Amino acid sequence: MYRSKGLKKIVTILIVVITLILILWPFFYIFVSSFKPLREIMARAKFFPKNLTIRNYRTLIIARTPVRNFPRILYNTLVVSSLTAALSIVISCISAYGISHNRRLMRGMVSRLMLFIYVFPTIILLIPIYKMFTMIGLYNSFLGLIIIYTALVAPFCTWLLVSFFETIPRELEESAQIDGASGITTFIRIILPLASPGIITVGAYSFITAWGEYMFALVMISESIKKTAALGLATFTAEQYIEWGPLLAGSILIIIPVFILFLPVSKFFIKGFTAGAIKG
Amino acid sequence: MRLYVRKERTSYILMIPILLLIIVIFAYPVIRTFILSFFKISFGASETRYVGLANFKNIIRNQTYWQALTNSLYWTFGNLLVQLSIPLFIAILLNKRIRGINFVRAIIMIPWIVPAVTIAVCMRWMLLPKIGIINEMLDSMNIMKKQIHFLGHRFTVMPTLILLNSWKFLPFGTLMILAALQTIPAETYEAAEVDGASGFQKFRYITLPLVGSMIWFVGFLAFSWNFNTFDLIWLTTQGGPGTRTQTLSILIYRTAFKTFRLGEASAISVTVAILLIIIGVFYFKYLTPKE
Repeated sequence: MYRSKGLKKIVTILIVVITLILILWPFFYIFVSSFKPLREIMARAKFFPKNLTIRNYRTLIIARTPVRNFPRILYNTLVVSSLTAALSIVISCISAYGISHNRRLMRGMVSRLMLFIYVFPTIILLIPIYKMFTMIGLYNSFLGLIIIYTALVAPFCTWLLVSFFETIPRELEESAQIDGASGITTFIRIILPLASPGIITVGAYSFITAWGEYMFALVMISESIKKTAALGLATFTAEQYIEWGPLLAGSILIIIPVFILFLPVSKFFIKGFTAGAIKG
Repeated sequence: MRLYVRKERTSYILMIPILLLIIVIFAYPVIRTFILSFFKISFGASETRYVGLANFKNIIRNQTYWQALTNSLYWTFGNLLVQLSIPLFIAILLNKRIRGINFVRAIIMIPWIVPAVTIAVCMRWMLLPKIGIINEMLDSMNIMKKQIHFLGHRFTVMPTLILLNSWKFLPFGTLMILAALQTIPAETYEAAEVDGASGFQKFRYITLPLVGSMIWFVGFLAFSWNFNTFDLIWLTTQGGPGTRTQTLSILIYRTAFKTFRLGEASAISVTVAILLIIIGVFYFKYLTPKE
């Protein structure tokens, strides 16, 4: 009995490891390949590099032109994504708190409605938003992108946070108010700390979405100096002769920041996301 | 009672920011698209002319529209099939208590957090004939002796892209379904075993009903993400070869920003919106699992 249990465990671990390898090997391959010299990149594929070089990274970072400025586009993306995350946290916290405290509205309906919005494909929003933003001067500006990205994620984040706020016992707030705390104090001191897994989730989700977004950036940004990472990387491939070496290096460099941000909060993120979904 | 009324009003005030965002970025554009679809617009927005239903007549007569619609449905449902079955399978495999499982759950998310651009450009390189690793692997395992131009051949391109897209979505679906599985107490299965239930019966009568609402939710997100996919397709094939992978998203973008027929693009958008509202209402109304 004991032995078969041990065997079962080993088989389980083996299956998990194989699944992981099947899902993740391409990233590992891209990572090792980004250190290959060009002639290995353009020859018959071998998994591991024969000669290691950091030339791809050097070309990418040092060989800057006004059209191709990788450090600059990384910086742009960082600005846009962080501000999107901050703005969407603020807006979805406030709205979700409002929704969860309204006794007359059918809360289930309202938060379902927040999801239903996503039935509309974003592509149909593209033309009117493009025209509207050109008119009011938000075309080719970070602020315009930030507003669009926030709007894209905020309804979902609100929906997620409503389910978080609802789990917080109403008595906690009431007793704080009896002790003389104002509405805002209660919200900041009691509600927000208790909902922090949800808030971290919302922030990370917004950041990741903004970080990788391509379609709106493609339409809304016209100057090379204002390009975001996804857009910038894609322009490299539009050239006549694709330089795969720097492209692979760039791919790795734009994964790293999201990865650094995501790993420490992944526990909250997974919990928060799934908790929201289960409570629905 | 006064306090109650005041709180009610505050709660409406608190909802203003999100409502404003929804109105400006979702509601207004949707209405605007409907209006634009009745106009002929030359790019630059200086000259617009009311043309009635002409835009709609044009697109319906156009073979590329129907091709794009077929492609979109093929793309969306092909993806859904992969994205709902494989994650369910992996989630059941991973629904075990072993050490380090939290770490596994974190790093398995990588394909989901990586920007689609990265996946698109790197995969283009990896899928190339002669120098791509995928062809090399198939070759060395003796599965395929011929070099396949995955993204350039009209039969392989759609399945290849579906696999790529599903791979990106897979970790997410897996984790969601896994979370639902973990809400099922082990005793339920044990009780069923005592009653002599087979593995399949346990799956059919315990697992499936209990993860049903999660599958509903994942299915919804997957559906809207898939239908929306623009970046992965645009950055790998731009809708090609020919119009083989030109979905409605690609067609709308092309019509609006490559051939500059904004009115016609709006008309296509309107048909898409109507189609999706019908599907969405149907999904929310009839397929929502009952508690």
